[in-house]
Amino acid sequence: MATRTVTFEFKRQASPEAAAVWEKFELEWRPGMNVVSAMMEIARNPVTADGRPTTPIAYDSNCLEEICGSCAMRINGKARMACSALVDNLEQPIKVEPLTKFPLVRDLQVDRSVLFENLMRVKAWVPVDGTYDLGSGPRVYPQEQEANYPLSNCISCCCCMEVCPQFNDVTGFVGAATIAQVKLFNNHPTGKVYKEERLRALAGDGGIQECGFAQNCVEVCPKQIPLTNAISDVGRDVVAQKIKDWLKS
Amino acid sequence: MATVQPAAPRPAHIVGRGPEPLRAGKGTSFLWHKLHSLLGIVPIGAFLLEHLLSNFEALKGPIAYGEQVKFLNSLPLVRVLEWVFIFLPILYHGIYGVYIWLRGKSNIVYYPWAGNWMYLMQRYTGLIAFAYIGYHVATQRFMGVSLPENPGAAFAKVQHELANPWIVAVYVIAMIAVCWHFAYGVWLFAAKWGITPGETARRRFGYICVAFGVLLAGMGLASIWAFVGPKYENAPENVPLSYQRTEIREQRTEISCICAFPANLPGAPDSQDSIVDRAL
Repeated sequence: MATRTVTFEFKRQASPEAAAVWEKFELEWRPGMNVVSAMMEIARNPVTADGRPTTPIAYDSNCLEEICGSCAMRINGKARMACSALVDNLEQPIKVEPLTKFPLVRDLQVDRSVLFENLMRVKAWVPVDGTYDLGSGPRVYPQEQEANYPLSNCISCCCCMEVCPQFNDVTGFVGAATIAQVKLFNNHPTGKVYKEERLRALAGDGGIQECGFAQNCVEVCPKQIPLTNAISDVGRDVVAQKIKDWLKS
Repeated sequence: MATVQPAAPRPAHIVGRGPEPLRAGKGTSFLWHKLHSLLGIVPIGAFLLEHLLSNFEALKGPIAYGEQVKFLNSLPLVRVLEWVFIFLPILYHGIYGVYIWLRGKSNIVYYPWAGNWMYLMQRYTGLIAFAYIGYHVATQRFMGVSLPENPGAAFAKVQHELANPWIVAVYVIAMIAVCWHFAYGVWLFAAKWGITPGETARRRFGYICVAFGVLLAGMGLASIWAFVGPKYENAPENVPLSYQRTEIREQRTEISCICAFPANLPGAPDSQDSIVDRAL
């Protein structure tokens, strides 16, 4: 029986300044194979389809079960997690490229620190630090937990930002993920102490107003986070906050 | 309490800055964006409704259309209303809209999803609408017969314009683009201002906006037909307006003077108006 093979094309770039090149690989098919496992196999034997030795492909990955958010890349043109991109469901040759909106490090590695910077700027946390024991926090009812749980699923993969037509160097748009986290922490009984500050932050340049509601974010989100609902809710809260601030000034 | 530390500078080996982080609470773009969004509904959307309803009068013929033009031009401070609630808002909405368009980058090739298509269409329909409105206002408001002074010439003026089939094509395309842009604009407004934060609500409101847009476009196209169809072919250059009504009012005054009865006399008619009506 002839062995089934899988064809890949990877966009390689040795350094941010280097020119990008495409490299083709042919691997033996294996059941349940995904893009990350294919790259692991290439690392074991880094030889291209035309028999030329090369370097292992550089990429970020960790959990391999779509929960850490590290391995986001463009597979056949679409941003998604490489670990859950099963080879059997993909058209061949499988073309793999780095995310396009973030500074490139090497091969498929990009620097997504802008998301963490954005999360800091909206204070996406529950403030519990203190010099003494603050005791237990207010009770969160199951109904509230139920409503907020989907928002807490964000894995910071940045797919929502990659596919957003408004997220680019010109707008410096904050992106859907950060807006959804603002909703999550504003809903938290302890986290809401920063509610007004978060809303004001989102009215800054690059804030929620840059959203064009193309809804790509919610289509692409690997965790099915209700991002457009969050943008709508937070959008209303930001407008209300700005009007309130304006009238009280 | 935790405080926000400034971000560490990017490692030197990373070239290309990528999108910069949120300028939390800084700048004025929020105000300009929201103004753009709000102006699209009020007054521009409200004016569009008025304009389409007024156009619909054309289906009743040159006199009814002229009367509508005369009525609108008789509004108090009409020239101020025109600039403050129509020209300036459209100018701002159009120019800022183009600016918004230039700052986004469509990726419909990779992500051909419905919302993404609508995002792109909102930009193209907006551009068509803006270019058309510029042409339309120049030719119909500021060139040719001045309608504020000669409202009776309104029907013929539009009819002459629409005598050219290419212009009719432009009007039809622009009518559909404008109604599309407005209907989806209403939907976008509801979504972005948090009126429809639920997915089901947005879907339902989507159906309403589609129906609304189709209705508006249908009314607009019917009005165009009134000018190019056979019913009012070769309409007179100018139609007399409100003469009949003025004459009747004058007659009424005369007759009521002639027939004036002291109201409290026995046998006097219930009201002078009824006598006038009978006399007429």
